[in-house]
Amino acid sequence: MELTAVISSYGQPALLRTCLIMLERALARAELRSTAIVVMDNGTLIPYRPAELGVADARIVRFDNRHPFSVACNRGAREIPAARYLFLNNDVFLHPEALLEMLDVMRDHEAGIVGARLVLPDDTIQHCGVRFDGGERGPYHQDHGKPSAIVTRVTSFPQAVTGAAMVIDHAVFTALGGFDEVFPFGYEDADLCLRARQLGVRIACAQGWDSLHLESFSDRRPDRHQASRRLFLERWRGRYAIDGDENG
Amino acid sequence: MTREHAISLIVHTRDSEATLPRLLDGTRWAAERIVVDMQSRDKTVEIANAAGCRVMFTAVVDAVDPIRNQYLAEASHEWILVLDSDEYLAADAHEALQQLIREHGANADAFAIPRFNSIAGHVMRGSGFYPDHQVRLFRRGTVAWQPGHHRLPKVLTGRQRLRQLEPPHCVHIHHENYPDIASFIAKQVRYALTDDYDPDPEKFDFGIYLAEAHAEFARRHEPSQDGELSTAVATVLAWDRIMRGLIHWERLGRRQSLNAAFSLPISIAAAPGKRSRPGTPLRNVPREIGRWIRREMLGRRN
Repeated sequence: MELTAVISSYGQPALLRTCLIMLERALARAELRSTAIVVMDNGTLIPYRPAELGVADARIVRFDNRHPFSVACNRGAREIPAARYLFLNNDVFLHPEALLEMLDVMRDHEAGIVGARLVLPDDTIQHCGVRFDGGERGPYHQDHGKPSAIVTRVTSFPQAVTGAAMVIDHAVFTALGGFDEVFPFGYEDADLCLRARQLGVRIACAQGWDSLHLESFSDRRPDRHQASRRLFLERWRGRYAIDGDENG
Repeated sequence: MTREHAISLIVHTRDSEATLPRLLDGTRWAAERIVVDMQSRDKTVEIANAAGCRVMFTAVVDAVDPIRNQYLAEASHEWILVLDSDEYLAADAHEALQQLIREHGANADAFAIPRFNSIAGHVMRGSGFYPDHQVRLFRRGTVAWQPGHHRLPKVLTGRQRLRQLEPPHCVHIHHENYPDIASFIAKQVRYALTDDYDPDPEKFDFGIYLAEAHAEFARRHEPSQDGELSTAVATVLAWDRIMRGLIHWERLGRRQSLNAAFSLPISIAAAPGKRSRPGTPLRNVPREIGRWIRREMLGRRN
C-alpha cells in the first residue's frame, strides 16, 4: 500500500462524509497506485455504517469507548500498513491539490513528516506550521488568524506540524513507535515531530493550497488540551529551539 | 502489572463464512476459541481451523440456545464469552472486558452487555432493539440457557450476581442481524416454525397471540428513533405473533376457535412497574411482554 489515510472521528457523520469526499478527490489527484482509508470510529454513540459515509471502500474500525487521538491514529495505521500515512481530522476538508503537494514536498525536500496549510472558514490561517516560544506560551500556530492572502506560500520547515493533516513516512512512524499514547488530547503531534527531529528527520509544511479546517468542531471543551499541555511542557520545556517572536 | 484474565470464546456456526472472519479477526486475544459447527456446507470450518480455533461438530438443530449448555463445559478457562457467528466486537473490546472482570469480577459472575443490532444497513436506535442486553460474558458454571429461541439465559448464582453494563460508553456486541427486511421475515418464519409450543390445549387461546401482536407492535413501533424501518420491523414482529398462534393452533389439532381474530380481547394500560406515557401506553412494556400477557389472561380466566 502506498498510502493509508487514517481519520479518527467521533460522531458528526455528515462532517465526516464531507471530509471523506474531499479526501477521495485529493487521493485521486495524487495518482498513487494503491491507497486505503481507515476510519477510526472513536466511540460514536451509534456506530458508523459504510453506507452513510458514502465511501464504499473505507474500512471502519470501531472503538466502543472513546480513546485519545493518539491511540486511534496508531490503531488505524496498524490496520492497513503503508509506505506513508496521512492522518486527517474529520473536520479538515482537503483541497484537491493539497495531498499531491504534500507528497511532492516530502519527496523533493526529503522530509519525513509534512503538514498542510489549513485555513478557517473566514480564510484566515489556522495552521501553517508550529512555532515554539520560550515563555509560558510554548508551542503555537504560526500566523494564526492572519488572512491567508498575506501569508507567504513558500514551503516552510517548522519544528512541528499539526496532526490534523499530516503525512508521515512509515519508517519514521515505526521508529517513533507512533504517537505517544500518554497524551489524552492534543500535543501528541508536536511531541511526535520533536521526537522525529531528534532522529534527524526533516519536517516540512506545504503552503501552496489552503485546506479548510473547522477547528475543534467535534470538541469545544475549553480545557480539553490542558492535561496534554502539562505533559508536553514537562517533557519538552527547555529542550526545543526557541523560534522567537513571529512578529519581531 | 495487571493480571490478564484468560477468556474462552465459544461461537456456534452454520454456513457462516460471510461473517465469521470479522468475529475471529476481532477476538485474536482470546485464550481459547471454540467453534461449534452445525454441518456447515461452506468454508466455515476451513476459516475456523485457519484461525487456530478448536472446531467441534454437532448435528443441525433448529434452535442453538438449548445446545449451548452442552458446549459450555468445553471451555477450559474461568471466564467464557459467547458470541453468535453474525456478531463481532469492537477493536477495544479486549481491554474493556479485562477491565470489567478486574473491577467487578469479585462481585459478579455474569455481565449483560448491550448489543447494537443492524437491520437493512441501519443500526437500530430503539424499537426494542437497543440496548438489547445480552448475558454473554460469565464465569464458567454460572449461566445456563433455557429451551426455545432467543430466551435470556439464567444466572444460576442469582440475579444479584449479574451486572448490567450501561451504555453508551461501554463494550458492546455488534450484531449484523439482517441485510434486508426479506431476510428478517424469512428468519422469523423459521423461528416460528421450529419453536416449542405448549402441548396443553387448555393453555391455548388465539386471543392471547392477538393481544401479543398488538403489544409487540406498540413496543416496537418507534419511528422517532428508526423511521419507517421501525414500522416495518414492528409489523413483522406483530405478524410473527399471529403466525405463531396459527402454528400452535394447528399443532394442537385445529380444535380451538380462531374467533378471537375478530376482536382484541383485552386492552393493556401499561406493564406492571412501568410508567405509561400519554398517547403511547404500550411503549414501556418489557421484552417479556409475551409471558406477561399470557400470565394476565390465563390468570383472569382461572
